[in-house]
Amino acid sequence: MDHNSDYVIEMLHITKEFPGIKANDDITLQLRRGEIHALLGENGAGKSTLMSVLFGLYQPEKGEILFNGKKVEIKDPNDATALGIGMVHQHFKLVEVFTVLDNIILGAETTKLGFLRKKEARAKVEALSKKYGLQVDLDAKVEDITVGMQQRVEILKMLYRDNDILIFDEPTAVLTPQEIDELMATMREFAKEGKSILFISHKLNEIMAVADRVTVLRKGKGIGTIDTKSTNTQELSNMMVGRPVQLQVSKTPAKPGEAVLVVEDLTAPSRVHKNKNAVKGVSFTVRSGEIVCIAGIDGNGQTELVSAITGLGKTNSGKVTLCGEDISRASIKARGRNMSHIPEDRHKHGLILDFSLEDNMVLQRFKEPQFQSHSFINRPAVRKYSDRLIEKFDVRSGQGSETIARSMSGGNQQKAIIARELDRDKKLVMAVQPTRGLDVGAIEFIHAQLVEERDSGKAIMLVSLELDEVLSLSDRILVMFEGEIVGELDPAKTNAQELGLYMSGAKRMDRKEAAE
Amino acid sequence: MKKDQIRLLESNGFQSVLSSIVSIIIGLIFGVLLILVVGLLDSNLGIESAWEGIRLVFAGLFSTGRDAFGTLTWGFNSINMGNMLFRATPLIMTGLSVAFAYKTGLFNIGAPGQYLMGTMASLMIALGIPSDKVHPVIIWILAFLGAMAAGAIWGAIPGLFKALLNTNEVIACIMTNWIAANLVTWLFDISPFKNVTESTKSGYIYKTSFNNVATTKLGLDKVFPGSQVNGGIVIAILIAVLVYILMSKTTFGFELRACGSNKDAAKYAGLKDKRDIVISMAIAGALSAAGAALYYLAGNTELYWSTYQSLPAIGFNGIPVAMLALTNPIGVIFSALFMSMLNIIGLQITSLTAYNEYITDVIIAAIVYLSAFALLIKQIISRRIARKKGGSK
Repeated sequence: MDHNSDYVIEMLHITKEFPGIKANDDITLQLRRGEIHALLGENGAGKSTLMSVLFGLYQPEKGEILFNGKKVEIKDPNDATALGIGMVHQHFKLVEVFTVLDNIILGAETTKLGFLRKKEARAKVEALSKKYGLQVDLDAKVEDITVGMQQRVEILKMLYRDNDILIFDEPTAVLTPQEIDELMATMREFAKEGKSILFISHKLNEIMAVADRVTVLRKGKGIGTIDTKSTNTQELSNMMVGRPVQLQVSKTPAKPGEAVLVVEDLTAPSRVHKNKNAVKGVSFTVRSGEIVCIAGIDGNGQTELVSAITGLGKTNSGKVTLCGEDISRASIKARGRNMSHIPEDRHKHGLILDFSLEDNMVLQRFKEPQFQSHSFINRPAVRKYSDRLIEKFDVRSGQGSETIARSMSGGNQQKAIIARELDRDKKLVMAVQPTRGLDVGAIEFIHAQLVEERDSGKAIMLVSLELDEVLSLSDRILVMFEGEIVGELDPAKTNAQELGLYMSGAKRMDRKEAAE
Repeated sequence: MKKDQIRLLESNGFQSVLSSIVSIIIGLIFGVLLILVVGLLDSNLGIESAWEGIRLVFAGLFSTGRDAFGTLTWGFNSINMGNMLFRATPLIMTGLSVAFAYKTGLFNIGAPGQYLMGTMASLMIALGIPSDKVHPVIIWILAFLGAMAAGAIWGAIPGLFKALLNTNEVIACIMTNWIAANLVTWLFDISPFKNVTESTKSGYIYKTSFNNVATTKLGLDKVFPGSQVNGGIVIAILIAVLVYILMSKTTFGFELRACGSNKDAAKYAGLKDKRDIVISMAIAGALSAAGAALYYLAGNTELYWSTYQSLPAIGFNGIPVAMLALTNPIGVIFSALFMSMLNIIGLQITSLTAYNEYITDVIIAAIVYLSAFALLIKQIISRRIARKKGGSK
């Protein structure tokens, strides 16, 4: 056995260019057999490009890929699959109207005489699901299940295909703390069995917790590969960003003013089971000058609560008052007069992906006098406005305001939405997972923006699944479990453990105590 | 300079035009192959006829018949030219109808029905208002607007079903097509407009010129003597430009495109997505119906009124016209002209060679079919260009 076979995959001196940008500039990445190797970098550092090269989606201009020490050409994803490379993409590649089982076996179906042998497939998937504790509802349609479960479906897809090299692109971005712990345990289990894992992330704690080694990228260049044992989060973040980073949110104590959003005894139907309530009699108040966070494990009614308040979903009963006005039955447009909304699903609601960035920037506002003259869109005004937001919020894209939203990276898409929503300058900011999938630098910036909004007298309702964010950003925490608010906590006086107990339903406050 | 070239290759407009041209060429090559195959297989035809057929496919518009020795002659043919413009007129409108709906996220396969409703409304108004009491120009305008209103209502019906009951617009459109076919036949059957004065005609409605109503010629008959052309082509082109401006420059068009591209995001932004679906379909219907009005108000066209067993091909042909133009309203003008040129070419081949009309229909249909692949070709082209750029420095 030659020395090279220590490495199952070696990407040597990879260079990949796009118009106007060197996405990968002489990057080397060596993956050992049975290791968890993290790939760390900010948005646009070239992580996704590098992985797309490995997965055969792009051809590099320079450099080569070795598999078990032998040079290989990966021309398309089929070549990658043949080498046992599997990938969980940041944006899942699932057929929404198919069941979970159908999605898992899609493209690798077992057949007999041209007929599907679903029973065997089901048995195999069930065994895998049990072995690794990846719980999924095999008969549910993908469009009806939570993002967390969708990810488990993606992982099962790789396992079902017996892949040995597993790429996880930002896998924890969509998960709850508990789910993250489970995922990490699963990843360790995989590594123990000799599978090699590439873990793309910008979350330093997770990398420190699970990875053996980490390769840091910055602006398309490889900064270095180090053992996680010999480093710490501060050093890693400095390597990644290229300057010392503030990891903690700095803010003064909140000075809550008048009530902006008052929710009284609200019930709302579930998205999945139409005849069940997902929100069961929730009451709370958000005042100006404070950040109130709805914490909870994904799928406990947060989405439906937000939909009921914003008007995107239905309300069964109860009352929502915004700035003294009863909006329980108001149109989305009417609610929008006093509310901006950073939506949970940026592709479904937040952006029109086939529109340019500037068109997306004025999505709610194109009819305002400043952006039109006699019903014609005032292009120069739109461009000027969009350029200003791009500059202020550092939204990076290939062609500035003209960039088609679809071609932008996820982080920059999110920044564009946040820019648009915060600039609308509304009394209530509904921020649903505002930093989902963003890098440290961008999170730092967005947190600072939200705190600034708070200090200028806005009421901020934050829905977050990330404990770090919940604890560091909010002034008040309301924990939601199975459609009810089961606890109100002061972030200064609680910790992740206590929060976790409420989130999992192990602990709850008296209802009267919890409300208000 | 290299950079300018790359920018040109990358520009969306360039890729669109290129892909339309490429698909036309593929269609024509296929047509040529068909002519060759049929020519060689059919004992009446042979290689001589095939060669004539091939030349006619490319230049049939400029064919002027045969000389005394039986060889094909070529030159400016005002009848061909004028008739091409005349036949393109309704195609532009149905093409616009499909393209408009497509841009707003709807597939309007209901153009034939809307076209029929426009036919009925325009003819009934044009023939029903006596021209000795009302000025024919006023009647013409009323007939044109009436047709658009009828088409708008007919288009709005599938729109309402889609908006309120989430019924797929394709299914509702197919239903309304056949309802229109039967409704129009029935209403003409009980109408006083059936042509009974010309004994050679049976089953036709009066031409509108019987009531002195006819589209103004705008001098085009002088430019293309002997042809059916009239001012309708100018009106159709104007409407195409208007639709382009409406879609790409106005807040209204922005709203409709937003709803069409992402209904959920439009709803999120507070736009009235359901209302917009109905409006889009109504406008699409009005455009189709306007095409019918421009065709039947010409004064020299007549309708075979018992139409309940078939739907007007011009309605369906709006689909390939729109696809070939990649749903660009300005592009629709050119693709409609191309389609109607094919139509003229088909007539030329039938009349000048031994190819019968069925074979020419097949050939023309094949060209139309392949031309509608423009979108696919565009994807291939842009991928090629992107890869080339990625591959070289």
